[in-house]
Amino acid sequence: MTKIDERARDAELSHTPPGEEPPKRLLEEGSVWIMIAAPCIWALHFLLSYWAAAVWCAKLADRYDPILPVRAGVAVLTLVALAVVAWLARYAVRRYQGRLLIQEDLTEHSEAERTRFLGHATLLLCALSAAAIIFDSMPILVFDSCY
Amino acid sequence: MTDAEANRADRPSPQDDPELRTAQEERLKAVWKEPTGWRYFSAVNNDIVGKWYTLGAFFFFAFAGVLALLMRTQLMFPDNDFLSMELYNQAFTMHGTMMMFLFAVPVFEAVSIMLLPELLGNRDLPFPRLSAFGFWCFIIGGVFVTGSIFFGAAPTGGWFMYPPLSSEPQQMGIGADIWLLGLSFIEIASIAAAVELIVGVLKSRPPGMRLNLMPLYCWYVLVVAGMILFAFPPLIAGDLLLEMERAFDWPFFDPERGGDPILWQHLFWIFGHPEVYIVFLPSIAIVATIVPTFARVPMVGHSWVVLSAVGTAFISFGLWVHHMFTTGLPNISLAFFSAASEAVAIPTGVQIFAFIATLLVGRVTYSVPMLYATGALAIFVAGGLTGVMVAMVPFDFQAHDSYFVVAHLHYTLIGGVLFPLLGGIIYWYPFMTDKLLSDRLGKWAFWLMFGGFNIAFLPMHLTGALGMPRRVWTYAEGLGWDELNMISTLGAYFIGAGFAVFAWDVLRPKGKQPYAPRNVWNAGTMEFSQLVPAEHWGARCVPVITTRYPLWQQEGFLKDLDEGRFYLNDAEEGKRETMVTSVLDADPMQVLRVPGPSYKPMGAAVFVGLLFILGTFGLYAAAVICGAVGGVVILWWLWTGTSPIPEKEMKHAGRGVHLPLYRAGSDSVGWWAMFITMIGDLTAFFGLVFAFFFFWTIHPDFPPPGADIPEFWLACLGIVLAGLAWLTVWRGQARHHSGSVRAARFGLPAASLLAAGAVAAFIESARRGGLVPTSHAFDATCWIIVLWLGLHFAAGVVMLLYCLAGSFTGKMTPRYDADFANVLLYWHFMLVTACITFALLGLFPLLTGDGP
Repeated sequence: MTKIDERARDAELSHTPPGEEPPKRLLEEGSVWIMIAAPCIWALHFLLSYWAAAVWCAKLADRYDPILPVRAGVAVLTLVALAVVAWLARYAVRRYQGRLLIQEDLTEHSEAERTRFLGHATLLLCALSAAAIIFDSMPILVFDSCY
Repeated sequence: MTDAEANRADRPSPQDDPELRTAQEERLKAVWKEPTGWRYFSAVNNDIVGKWYTLGAFFFFAFAGVLALLMRTQLMFPDNDFLSMELYNQAFTMHGTMMMFLFAVPVFEAVSIMLLPELLGNRDLPFPRLSAFGFWCFIIGGVFVTGSIFFGAAPTGGWFMYPPLSSEPQQMGIGADIWLLGLSFIEIASIAAAVELIVGVLKSRPPGMRLNLMPLYCWYVLVVAGMILFAFPPLIAGDLLLEMERAFDWPFFDPERGGDPILWQHLFWIFGHPEVYIVFLPSIAIVATIVPTFARVPMVGHSWVVLSAVGTAFISFGLWVHHMFTTGLPNISLAFFSAASEAVAIPTGVQIFAFIATLLVGRVTYSVPMLYATGALAIFVAGGLTGVMVAMVPFDFQAHDSYFVVAHLHYTLIGGVLFPLLGGIIYWYPFMTDKLLSDRLGKWAFWLMFGGFNIAFLPMHLTGALGMPRRVWTYAEGLGWDELNMISTLGAYFIGAGFAVFAWDVLRPKGKQPYAPRNVWNAGTMEFSQLVPAEHWGARCVPVITTRYPLWQQEGFLKDLDEGRFYLNDAEEGKRETMVTSVLDADPMQVLRVPGPSYKPMGAAVFVGLLFILGTFGLYAAAVICGAVGGVVILWWLWTGTSPIPEKEMKHAGRGVHLPLYRAGSDSVGWWAMFITMIGDLTAFFGLVFAFFFFWTIHPDFPPPGADIPEFWLACLGIVLAGLAWLTVWRGQARHHSGSVRAARFGLPAASLLAAGAVAAFIESARRGGLVPTSHAFDATCWIIVLWLGLHFAAGVVMLLYCLAGSFTGKMTPRYDADFANVLLYWHFMLVTACITFALLGLFPLLTGDGP
């Protein structure tokens, strides 16, 4: 049953004057953007890798030319993307107290708990994004030409 | 006695008085009353509009289902002549089109509009009239597109309308225009609904419902509405390009004049693949709501399900080329999409494991909705696995365009969309109508559909593997497909019979049947707190939420709710009001007055619809007049219904909390709606920019050598004037906000003139440069970008003049300037649009060596 009685509830609610949220930095505690940061890194990595290969193949390489610069570029991009995701994960742990819980139970009615929830969800999304980034870098291991 | 009860007893409250409560309830009932008689159709209340919307979507579903039965009947025997080839082509095109555009997406919006306020324990969504407008657009556009089949004029190009088949008027008649314009109209309605739902989830949660306590259904709504915002605009851009080619011969898709049909495939599938998840995730959201209710435990791994919703949404945007594996793109490009297509299986799988874990942990009670949910998972998993197969490029080369793909997509869509949805209808039927559906009929319907489905579609994997292509009207005897097709057709009839049973159960009169008990499934989420029979007020009062499943976990919740002990328990001023809260922690921010019944949304939809419908028939003058009338109706609707100046600053919302009645800028819901709409708008513009760069990649030189290019100095003049217009709006708004009414009265007309000058400069730049839109794809792309900019600036000028009129009539003052703040936001986006236009028209030719 509820941990917090009605009085505490009311106190909580009137704690912040209505609507008066202090301005916040983009990734500061209390920003929801942190959640989609890691998937955005995935999206950037994906699009840049695809564009690099597509433009190179359309403009610069013949069908069976080696495409070493694209492969090297995507490799570097992958490492950078993974590093940024790792940094985001660390941020989620440090600033949002994100933990990798299996039996998640972040149901307490408090601002701190909501922060932990965001941190936890961010951490999970970092893991997923890292996996997807690794998936999307595999083509450069397989292809040495456009076709 | 618990703390909460003790607390309540200690503190005498005016709500202890039953007479006061009755008086409050009477006032609330009067304010939220459903209009009677003919005026019923002017209703905008979410429960009524949601019901119409759902019924409309299911009507189109049944229609498209009948088309499928006709097709299956045609394919029952080899060399059959039950349908003509022409009619068969119309049938499969309309089947796909209707299922996707007129059923799967609208039904998500319908169910969400109906459920969301009650699920959030709030009165209504922030923009009820926008929901009504979306519904009327949907029904008008839907009837127009569907009706074409009765005149033999339906489109025949498949639900993806590939050019060059669809781009040449000789190949395809008016059907393609009906498809392009009719559906563009519906897509706009979908975006309107998405805006409504995003703002609804972010800003109208009940006090205390922090993000970690938000129901999973709301997470899915947020995610899916966000996806609509990024997925639909590229298709709208594509529709625009294709219709310009069909109607005015602008050669975007004509290779002889520098175009390329593959561009359409990109734009279509950048929409089309996320679309699959746009229709799938809301149904999974229904499963995520049903499963905990019948497992009697909260969802296991709540945040893992949130992860999978968000993760799937993102990755689904990286899959579009897997529909284009056989178009001859470089293999390395295909490989990126193949990898992403495999990766999306991870988050999709996570949520299914979370559901299974919840079922294992809980004590599952047997019920019909649960039957549909488990059947759905079984079918969907099979479809997901064949999805992983076709995501492999070499396998897809073999299976592409064969019945294997038909089997795969129906396993995912019927398992992933239809069965959960039908389960959801049974689950929420008491919520919608106060009555229960029959268990017996529900089981009959399920087994007929489940059995019929597998009989129909399992053999299609084989039919496809044996080489039967999709979309063939008939086939020769003895190719090994005869028996398989016969079996599939029989199965299809069983699905039809099952759905007929289901539809009968839903529609049969239930006058004598007793009301369902309150919270009949013993659910934990708030929509089942509704009284039986239900009232139209959404919630008796707006509750304080401290748990994920308030009906299970908050003691005395229903009693407090019924006795109006939370917020907004009255309607003293006789106005419809809803609560607006903050995004992260749902702190109360505003009491928002929402408008009541009106014919204006319907009128606006009719005239805007006529713009598209008359345009289909090439009656451009009449179309433009209707469009203008539609614009006037919208302005009238805004003028009379939005951001009224309240009679007092603050209002007591209950429990000692006083909230403002008016908010402007980023605190207001209107600002959020503008922001979200413009994100979608900018995405559509990026679709055009994508076209520009796509042409650059396929041509050795783009602009082509010797091409006419826009006049550089005029383009410079254009960007300078556009920048000045933006600056004038920006500074004018700031000065007006700090008290200078004159800033508005001078700034608004000045900005309008500057904006008009900017558009004229860009048009002259293209015209004097000698660009002829029908000559080459480069010219056409430049012109379409200028056209886009011009129309947007024109709309921006109308907004400026609207504010000016508001300033003169006292509707807009420095204190009450929400309109001006929203218009400024629009102009921020216009600045971005103008800068990109200048970069493409003015700077890009310099880079490629074609400059002045």
